[in-house]
Amino acid sequence: MWSFAAVVLLQVIGALAGLAPLLAVVELGRVLLSPGPVDHGRVWTVVVAGAAGLLVRLLFTAASSGIGHLVDGQVQLALRRRLAARLGRVPIGWLSRRRTGELAKVVGDDVSAVHPFIAHAPGELVAAFVVPLVSLVYLFTVDWRLTLITLAPVVLAVALVPLMMTPARLREQKEFDAGMGRISNAAVEFAQGIAVVKAFGGAGRAHRRFRTAADEFTDTFLRWVRGMAPIAAGMQLALSPPFVLLVVLVGGAALITNGAMEPAGLLPFLLLGLGLTAPVAALGHGFDDLQAARRAVGRIGDVLAVQPLPEPAHPVAPQGHRVELRGVRFGYEGGHEVLRGIDLVLEPGTVTAVVGPSGSGKSTLVQLLPRFFDPTHGSVVLGGADLREIGGRELYRTVSFVFQDVRLLRASVADNIALAVPHAGHDDVVRAARLADIHDRILELPRGYASVIGEDAGLSGGEAQRIAIARALLADAPVLVLDEATAFADPQTEQAVRRALAALAGDRTVLVIAHRLETIADADTVVMLENGAVVERGAPAELLARDGRFAAFWQAHRSAVAGESDAPRGDEPR
Amino acid sequence: MIRMLLRVLGHEYARPVRRTVALMTTTAVAEGLSYALLVPVLRALFGSTPAGARPWLVAFGTAVAVYAALRYRSDLSGFRVATALLRGMYHRLGDHLARLPLGWYGAARVGEVSVLAGRGVLESMSVIVHLLAPFLSACVTPLTIVAVMLAYNGPLGLAALVAAPVVAAVQVWTGRSMAADDEERHERDHEAAGRVIEYLQAQPVLRAGGRTDERFRLLDDALREVQRASRRTVLSALPGTLGLTLAVQAVFTALLVLGSYLALGGTVGVAEVLTILVLAARCADPLLSLSSIGGKLRGARSVLARLDAVLRTEPLPEAPEPVQPVRHDLEFASAVFRHGDRAVIDGVSLSVPEGQRLAVVGPSGAGKSTLLQLLARFHDVDGGAVRLGGVDVREIGTETLMARIAMVFQDVYLFDGTIEENVRLGRPGATDAEVRAAAAAARLDEVIERLPGGWAANVGEGGALLSGGERQRVSIARALLKDAPVVLLDEVTSALDPVNEAAVHQGIERLMAGRTVVMVAHRLRTVRRADRIVFLDGGRIVEEGGHDELLRRGGRYAEFWNLSLTPAARP
Repeated sequence: MWSFAAVVLLQVIGALAGLAPLLAVVELGRVLLSPGPVDHGRVWTVVVAGAAGLLVRLLFTAASSGIGHLVDGQVQLALRRRLAARLGRVPIGWLSRRRTGELAKVVGDDVSAVHPFIAHAPGELVAAFVVPLVSLVYLFTVDWRLTLITLAPVVLAVALVPLMMTPARLREQKEFDAGMGRISNAAVEFAQGIAVVKAFGGAGRAHRRFRTAADEFTDTFLRWVRGMAPIAAGMQLALSPPFVLLVVLVGGAALITNGAMEPAGLLPFLLLGLGLTAPVAALGHGFDDLQAARRAVGRIGDVLAVQPLPEPAHPVAPQGHRVELRGVRFGYEGGHEVLRGIDLVLEPGTVTAVVGPSGSGKSTLVQLLPRFFDPTHGSVVLGGADLREIGGRELYRTVSFVFQDVRLLRASVADNIALAVPHAGHDDVVRAARLADIHDRILELPRGYASVIGEDAGLSGGEAQRIAIARALLADAPVLVLDEATAFADPQTEQAVRRALAALAGDRTVLVIAHRLETIADADTVVMLENGAVVERGAPAELLARDGRFAAFWQAHRSAVAGESDAPRGDEPR
Repeated sequence: MIRMLLRVLGHEYARPVRRTVALMTTTAVAEGLSYALLVPVLRALFGSTPAGARPWLVAFGTAVAVYAALRYRSDLSGFRVATALLRGMYHRLGDHLARLPLGWYGAARVGEVSVLAGRGVLESMSVIVHLLAPFLSACVTPLTIVAVMLAYNGPLGLAALVAAPVVAAVQVWTGRSMAADDEERHERDHEAAGRVIEYLQAQPVLRAGGRTDERFRLLDDALREVQRASRRTVLSALPGTLGLTLAVQAVFTALLVLGSYLALGGTVGVAEVLTILVLAARCADPLLSLSSIGGKLRGARSVLARLDAVLRTEPLPEAPEPVQPVRHDLEFASAVFRHGDRAVIDGVSLSVPEGQRLAVVGPSGAGKSTLLQLLARFHDVDGGAVRLGGVDVREIGTETLMARIAMVFQDVYLFDGTIEENVRLGRPGATDAEVRAAAAAARLDEVIERLPGGWAANVGEGGALLSGGERQRVSIARALLKDAPVVLLDEVTSALDPVNEAAVHQGIERLMAGRTVVMVAHRLRTVRRADRIVFLDGGRIVEEGGHDELLRRGGRYAEFWNLSLTPAARP
């Protein structure tokens, strides 16, 4: 905090010292214009004082600006670290419903936008007000009448401000912002949809849309400018040095010719009078930046205000790894429930397959296990303890998961595999990679396990998926949640998933969103989900025999797959 | 800077921009010249006959009026030009982006382009309004004032003139030394942004490892680098700012000393000396503001440079005399395509007779999708040729080529609009009956029935309100409606669950009927019925032939096929 005070103090001292040379000229004028012999010693004292003032100003403003920027860097780093720490604790569900690009913008651009607040605003704003204030007081002591006259341009400029705030102007400002938003959207759509635009030839609809948005925006801009420009230009004129000087000179000449003022009294007004306009100008200039900074601070505050999932005060250790869902209800937004009363027991050593049409709540259900969200009603119990009573670390050590979207970090292959087990030995990493059928491919990379993904080596989608499988294998958690990805990129990867599942089973509790008939057939229990509720459950053979919903689903699946080819179990369609 | 601005804008804007710059310069000169009249005014006021100042005051008033008129006009002209430029810039960028080859649009590009086309244009154009006039006035007015001083008093004028080259040198030197730091800082910011995204996306895994309690090293390093780069920028900017301030203040001090000396010696009138000191003070402020204006200009310049880079990217050349192919067979003749120094397609030769289906199979990264992209001319080959109906695709006009090809990708992008609008994109002139028929054939009708609003249901930005399978059906309906003789399919069904897959397959089957088809697929079952299969690895054809033939051969394809058939293992 003291550094902030130092920045402001240094800036103010520097700015005030900047008045010294001007006052020196004033003094010089007084001495030289005074009747009688000129006091040489006094002249040189004044000159030295002026030069010293300049030096002080140089040193102090430089120091202030330097410290200000350095503090700014530190504050930004601290702010970014706080944001990162908070983002590392917010519910995953909250994250998954936001665009990472936007959050990255908060950590990056928005924190940078705070810059004027810290590095410039305090010092410069204070200086912009203190210096004119001091000048004003000084000028009043010289001649109050001419001071009032000198203030006329400022008053004129300020009088124009309300013209900028009329309803019409404000409406135009709003339209301007909205237009800017539209053009951004059109630009995004244009860039993302370019393949479609080109593939379907013609003039290109997105192109046209972009053009229209651009034209609309420029029209708004033009209207805004047309309304604003004359006022802004008028303000600029009122504050411009020639105009201010003219006003001072006319006033001064009148006073001097009437004998109401010493000629030397005019000098301070010529030199300091211009400085009186500084606050108005500073407000105008700094205003946009400050507005932007304020909006940025708002967005940063929003992120920092997100409540992390509460951590238990007295964490309970789960006993065993039986998982129970008791009357679980969940909705992303109030009103619409995605899960509507789920009771489910996952026994250790069994594989439970969740099936159901898309939108039935499968993904939401499996995401409750790693506590991406907390259920709105009911509870998820692991080893006898409510998930909410288990410490985050303990929970993640117990539950591991492989979901569809694989994210690799720009770090070494070994680090990527060992992400969930930072202190894993190299041998363990290699064993996991072998099991996931990616070991040989890694050895082909330029620096083997030390190759940095994205720098030394690019991996294909399938290879990335196999790294993710190796990750889960290494994590070796007793509860595994797996979204049997529909998009495994190649047969080799599909094979690796199946092998991994086989290797992982044993005493584990496995919950899998099943897409493949083989997985479904091999599960111990199948849970058929429809519209957020369990409609059937039991062993797959048993359910088939029951000839209910699952049987119908199974048949639809089978014919879906068979419709295009011979399914592995061999009913040739044609 | 102005030169780059003009290049980015194109030459039709050169005249208005030059006119505005000239107007702004004239205004700045007028401001400087008007100060010349201060000398006689002050001489009279400080002398024995203050009333003698009146005619000079009137003259000064007139000069200020002239300045005011000029200034007002140049301000308005700046606004006007900026608006015209804004419109021109958007159009130019839009037109250019539409002409760039699809291959240019990578994932990173999309983000960059949307920022550039949105805020970037506005920011770079605001240079004219907000920075150009202050910059010109900060340079030109002091110079004019120095000229005025020279005219009144040689020695003092000369002393002031010394500042000019010093200030100019400091400005140029700062600009140069800052450019590298700015670049580095930009890079660090970029790097940190990447790390933040990575950190966010890897949250589940990071938490599993308990790695968000401590600071995550990769991210924290990047954040610290940002701080270090910004500190370096500050420190390297300091000498420039200090140098400028020091130069300006030294000259002012020199004038103060010299003026006092001359006044004491009686060689120059007191009024002159005081006026010149007032004028010198007038010079100092704008000169000192140069360093902050310079910083802002550099910022705008970097946006401008990025715009310039995009606008200077050459679109694929258009054939001067486009040929209309009459047949629709496809051919690759020793096609080579490089990405950097890596050959993505490395001498592929193959042909697909009209009406036949070719399936392309291979490990990921083998170049399968690139093969399709070369057919649709997302890129041009670096060697060999790609032909449609015997005509090199480079000889066919883009519009014609696109009219002959229907593409369906794994990721479908839909425009924010209704389903009907998105289907109609296939053939804007289609009748309602045709649109309905295409939708039915793609089994999109089931989806439409389910949706509130039916045909008029909005699909959201990028089609986000539909599921993957539903989007796919829209894109197939679109392709069906287009009714092009050549169909390219890229991993169409690999991301679908079996129910959607069945629906999509029916649609695809109808789409392929009677057309020349190239499909990339890894679900080998969908590949079986192709007339011919090509196994691609490392950009080369490793095996080719019919399904049964390749299975008998027992090579790579057979290995792949067997892998995908291995039943799920049980412990």
